[in-house]
Amino acid sequence: MIAATTVLGALVVAGCGSSSSSTVAALKSCNATIEIEAPITGPVAFLGQEQLHFAQLAVSNDDAANKTKITLAQGDTQLNPALATTVTRQATANSAIVGVVGPAGSQEVIAAGPLMARGGLGFISASATNVTLTQGTYPTFFRVVSNDGVQGPQDAHYIINNFHPKTVMIVDDEEAYSTGLVGFMMPVFQAAGVKVTHLSVSQKVTDFSSLVAKITPQTSVVVLPWQIASNAEQFGRNMAQQHKHAIIFGTDGLYDPKNFTIPGSYVSSFGPDITAIPADASLVSQETALHGSFGTFGPPMYAATHVLDEAIHSVCMGGHAPTRANVLAAIKATNESTSILGGAISFNAHGDNAHGQFYLFKIDSAGKYHLVPSS
Amino acid sequence: MTYFVTQLVSGLILGALYALVALGFSMVYGVLKMLNFAHGDLYMVGAYVGFFLIQWFGGSSAPSTLWIPVPLLVTLMFVSAALVVGGLGVVLERFAYRPLRDAPRIAPLITAIGVSFFLQNVALLLFGGQYRNYNTPNFISLYSGIKIAGVSIDDAQILVLVLTVVLMVALRLLVGRTTLGKQMRAVATDREAAEMMGINVNRTISATFFIGSALAGVAGVMGGLLFNQVYNLIGFQQGLYAFSAAVVGGIGSMPGAVLGGLLIGLTQSFINGYVSTQYVNQLTFALLIAVLLVRPRGVIGRAQLAKV
Repeated sequence: MIAATTVLGALVVAGCGSSSSSTVAALKSCNATIEIEAPITGPVAFLGQEQLHFAQLAVSNDDAANKTKITLAQGDTQLNPALATTVTRQATANSAIVGVVGPAGSQEVIAAGPLMARGGLGFISASATNVTLTQGTYPTFFRVVSNDGVQGPQDAHYIINNFHPKTVMIVDDEEAYSTGLVGFMMPVFQAAGVKVTHLSVSQKVTDFSSLVAKITPQTSVVVLPWQIASNAEQFGRNMAQQHKHAIIFGTDGLYDPKNFTIPGSYVSSFGPDITAIPADASLVSQETALHGSFGTFGPPMYAATHVLDEAIHSVCMGGHAPTRANVLAAIKATNESTSILGGAISFNAHGDNAHGQFYLFKIDSAGKYHLVPSS
Repeated sequence: MTYFVTQLVSGLILGALYALVALGFSMVYGVLKMLNFAHGDLYMVGAYVGFFLIQWFGGSSAPSTLWIPVPLLVTLMFVSAALVVGGLGVVLERFAYRPLRDAPRIAPLITAIGVSFFLQNVALLLFGGQYRNYNTPNFISLYSGIKIAGVSIDDAQILVLVLTVVLMVALRLLVGRTTLGKQMRAVATDREAAEMMGINVNRTISATFFIGSALAGVAGVMGGLLFNQVYNLIGFQQGLYAFSAAVVGGIGSMPGAVLGGLLIGLTQSFINGYVSTQYVNQLTFALLIAVLLVRPRGVIGRAQLAKV
């Protein structure tokens, strides 16, 4: 299904192996517990539930393929850094847990990262994209998706080159993810001589009439780096009510074909539409049969969980117990030639996926998403 | 001018919704002297009732496959939400609040917070955590309606404004001119004396909960029609605004609840439009604090004399 070639030799390099020059015997049984940290309840539970479902699917498939017995514990962070801290303290105190997938948000990684490092727990996020996370502060952090430093400029260049706007309105949602991304877009727009109107609005706002009234006739693009698709849908409807015709350009959280369907809008996402990847057909049908349709948050979580599962498997195959240190070393050595996301996965020295990329979708008049070239 | 009217209409609509929820909040407080923090979650339940009716009748898909007339669907949504949520309010009062009626005030307050979490999590369990979408434009056009000073007000917005006014007037008449209204006022003034005068206090309190909760249910459908989205935590913020509206207007006072709701809605809208989109809540609540410093019992709340 998904070819994965985790490099076993890394364990030796990391000093975990006791028989570096001889053939090692695989452990007879490979049992381990990992944890998913995700917003399983709370305001973005739809996202966390999808991540949970895909993590469960990955564990189930990997157990069957590798003859491992991996238990998936659940930590509900509600996308709240304080809760992420509590959940992480519990995870680090539980010696049975050898690795973590998640948390979902950059702000949560910032809160939980030092605790993970102190506990020697490797953790792989499937959606935290803030650039500062992989600048060496969190030595046990990894992510399978690309970062805002790639997405922000890429999106801004796309807007400049394809829409040639004179004025752009950017509305952040006051969260670290959103403001971070805006920080990477602004210089690109300014360098290109595009006038930028920058506003902020809380995620909890549901009526955007007042905000939409600020869109001038010169504003041809409105950038919404938001995490809640329904809000953007409402924003689009408020625009229609007021006869405003700017193009909405959204990011990751707006990839939600059920809840964001404003025709002519664009969404850039760290996750591809895996339903369009032939190699993922069986996974798509498995997940659809279990839980129905899904968005772009689940597949990266599958990839993250798969990396962790394969790391545990490789440790066992090397004849070693899947301890935190061994699993962490194996994660660092990950080298998957392909993945559910369609590309390879391997990590650089600070935990970024060396092959991460972003995908751009355009919404047609029927509300359907179509992948378009992102350059 | 167009810009100003846009902010005004937006503020009035927001305010009307807050007022409707605040009315129920204030009614319950008036009769029981109890802060029902689960009241906002009744708004959420109402919104879900409306959502599932739209789904049931095929109204949310595009193009719409609605198989009953739109006016009938909308009427059914409001009536069903009022009945279901009103009934739920009565059940909550009977099983969660009545046993604590004579307990210290903190007990029902904590219970109300517990009921709030309970409702949020039952909704999560039953309906999932994802945002559900009313898709109102699929059955009520965004482009119909009227134009005032160059601002389009669509049918859904007109419906909400008119219905809110009708409900407020009806409630005023019910409380001021009917036997039930007299009983409610009597229980609010002195529960023991009302009981001695032969008023069935339990039934009166149940009726108060029914009406207050039904208003929250209707407001939930209105919110769904206007803002399209519903999820299990949507009532929390509405409850908070409604509570604030009731306090600013003068808690226990029905005209006060309406005034407080409109004040918050309009303030939010104009701050959004003319001051800052980032600090709307901070500035709105700073203003409300200022109002309460000048009039601690709310804008039209009155000091009550107590025998000592």
